[in-house]
Amino acid sequence: MGVYSSQGGGTSVSSLFPYLSISGLGLVGLYMLLTGSGEQFNPGEFLMSISPHMWSLLGIALCVGLSVGGAAWGIFITGASLVGGGVRAPRIVTKNLISIIFCEVVAIYGLIMAIVFTAKLNNVQNSDITSSEMYYKGFALFWAGLTTGMCNLVCGVSVGITGSSAALADAQDGQLFVKVLVIEIFGSIVGLFGLIVGLLVSGRVA
Amino acid sequence: MEGLFYNADDGYLEAIVRGYRSSILNNTSYINLTQCETLEDVKLQLQASDYGGILQNEPHMSTSMLAQKCTDKLVQEFEYIRAHAVAPLQHFLDYMTYAYMIDNVILLITGTLHERDTHELLERCHPLGVFDSMPALCVATNVAELYNSVLVETPLAPYFKDCLSAEDLDEMNIEIIRNTLYKAYLEDFYHFSQSFGGPTAEIMGELLQFEADRRSLNITINSFGTELTKDDRAKLFPNVGRLYPEGNLKLAKSDDIDQVKATCDVFLEYRQFFDGTSGAGTTKTLEDRFFEYEVHLNKKSFQQQFHYAIFYSFLKLKEQEIRNIVWISECISQGQKERINNYIPIF
Amino acid sequence: MSGANNRLAVFPTRMTLSVMKQKLKGAQTGHSLLKRKSEALTKRFRDIVKKIDDAKRLMGKVMQVASFSLAEVTYITGDIGYQVQESVKNAQFRVRAKQENVSGVMLPVFESYQEGANANELTGLGRGGQQVQRCKETYIKAVETLVELASLQTAFVILDEVIKLTNRRVNAIEHIIIPRYENTIKHIISELDEQDREEFFRLKKVQGKKKEAAARDTLERESRQAAEGAHSNSPENAEAAVLSADPSLADPGDLLGGEDDDIIF
Repeated sequence: MGVYSSQGGGTSVSSLFPYLSISGLGLVGLYMLLTGSGEQFNPGEFLMSISPHMWSLLGIALCVGLSVGGAAWGIFITGASLVGGGVRAPRIVTKNLISIIFCEVVAIYGLIMAIVFTAKLNNVQNSDITSSEMYYKGFALFWAGLTTGMCNLVCGVSVGITGSSAALADAQDGQLFVKVLVIEIFGSIVGLFGLIVGLLVSGRVA
Repeated sequence: MEGLFYNADDGYLEAIVRGYRSSILNNTSYINLTQCETLEDVKLQLQASDYGGILQNEPHMSTSMLAQKCTDKLVQEFEYIRAHAVAPLQHFLDYMTYAYMIDNVILLITGTLHERDTHELLERCHPLGVFDSMPALCVATNVAELYNSVLVETPLAPYFKDCLSAEDLDEMNIEIIRNTLYKAYLEDFYHFSQSFGGPTAEIMGELLQFEADRRSLNITINSFGTELTKDDRAKLFPNVGRLYPEGNLKLAKSDDIDQVKATCDVFLEYRQFFDGTSGAGTTKTLEDRFFEYEVHLNKKSFQQQFHYAIFYSFLKLKEQEIRNIVWISECISQGQKERINNYIPIF
Repeated sequence: MSGANNRLAVFPTRMTLSVMKQKLKGAQTGHSLLKRKSEALTKRFRDIVKKIDDAKRLMGKVMQVASFSLAEVTYITGDIGYQVQESVKNAQFRVRAKQENVSGVMLPVFESYQEGANANELTGLGRGGQQVQRCKETYIKAVETLVELASLQTAFVILDEVIKLTNRRVNAIEHIIIPRYENTIKHIISELDEQDREEFFRLKKVQGKKKEAAARDTLERESRQAAEGAHSNSPENAEAAVLSADPSLADPGDLLGGEDDDIIF
């Protein structure tokens, strides 16, 4: 392997990395299996050994983090085009702030969800922590957060790209703004779907 | 996927270029321009457009002045873009200027061989193709010396490797060198743009393939009845483009326009170039059709977002626009109104 | 201009008269020749003026087409002016001068011809070569027209000069030289007549004197004879002869001072 990587040069090391890690993991797995210690590789037990609090907090973090990431991503995509387009057609800047607001809304979805999730957290006695309710709460919050976060991330990017097109289209022809904005609104609704599902999932938690 | 990361570096510039694009004269402006009686009227019409500012302080209108001013403006815009560009785009823009560099180098070599005043020549070089070591070109007497002393440090160096064998620089050789360089440049640019992948590769591929094919066709047609042998001709064809390889092979063996036509008949887009060119009613020449198709392709590249081809297209469209303006004002100043509509409308 | 002043200072003799007559004849021949030459030149001149007019109109058209074709080239290939200028080594289009003889006038005629191979044939190889070639052809045509016009113009100027010169000569011969010769001839003739008349008078006088002497002799002889008693019948005759000679004898100065009316040649 070393021979290959040195031959491949600097740039191909990164492209070889997935193969290297997969084959490395495969070797370790085979070693463990063949030396009779395959039992030690137990993902289920690993997951169960993590505290449900950990899961819920991770969900909240992913929810707000991914949402903010998506919003930020969208804003910079739109913003760059908006600033450039505004050089020739200053009138578009104010109007197209609405695209920025659409992106921002995505972050707010994430924030709302994070607040909702946080409200479900409560301190429990040491013995209760391993109960199935607690596990359910942990996993539900985790996956609700991840769903919302991922949806908002993609939604943010989508709104951002559409917003960028809207800004450029508006700069060329003012009539196009409303038309592209409709498309942008459809894009921003995608984030709402994630929000609803997240609410439904977390709503089961007492 | 390019939508995700493109804007981080190039979103601003893309929007700027689109802004510049919206300043390209539209059909109404052209119709107004063709109605003008004198160059002063043209100036008046252009005042309303983006060119208003640059013409304001010009007391006397002439077509050459107009061309000069418009080119200056284009160069200024291009330099602005180039100044703001970062890594891959910067390289891409540099590639675009190489074509002008080739022209400048050839101009300087020709001038030097005939012992003209080099300062005068340097002023006449295309501003987009200016590079630092250009004045040093004036000392060379043959290609090898030229290469070793000056060009090896310029980006053009790799293109010269094919024509180092040409020892003496006479008129024929210089024209051949120019075309060899251009061929190498086109191939290099094509492969470079393909390395981006995505829409850049797609659109630039189409544009450069057409450019290459147009060159092949032009070289073939223009070399009929000249001293250029068929072998030499074949060497000047770029090895990219839709005509490559079998079309180029056929072109290399062609003796008259009909054979060229037969070669192009295979391609739907190219077939139209030769339809009716022999007809008496049409005033459109082959070159006009080429320009039309080029404008069409360049317009198309504005239909997509998040790619580099719009920078290339913008430059080409703007050049076409300058040609149009100069053509119209030339027609007006020479009183040849009947041909004034030969310009290529852009938008 | 006529009169005694305007004549050659020659001695009036018959010899001079015949010389003068010859000269007059020569002058008249010369006059008619020059007149014809001037007419021929004027005709030619008018032709040239017409041709110049045509050529100038043509030139206007051709130059317009040519500069427009240059505009076409600029449209397609951009500015190739410098490129073409820089690659020129020697002239392909040349002019040579010939001379043409029109009624004794040498007119320079410029003739254009092309030398060497088709220069710049590869210019615009990659783009617009056809337009470049077409533009070149148009300009060659334009320059040909210019050369033609130049030779016409030179001929025009030279012919103009020559026609003026010839006309001056014709006029000089017609109005000065010929009258002068004519006057001289008239003068010589009148002088000669004068001489003739003097001679005639002198002869007459001599004859009269002779007759007088003869009559006197006769009278003397007769009177002597009469005195001697001889008879004669001639005194009336002798008397008449004396009487006829008498008037001219009476006033000799009157002939010179009187009018010439009675002199008829």
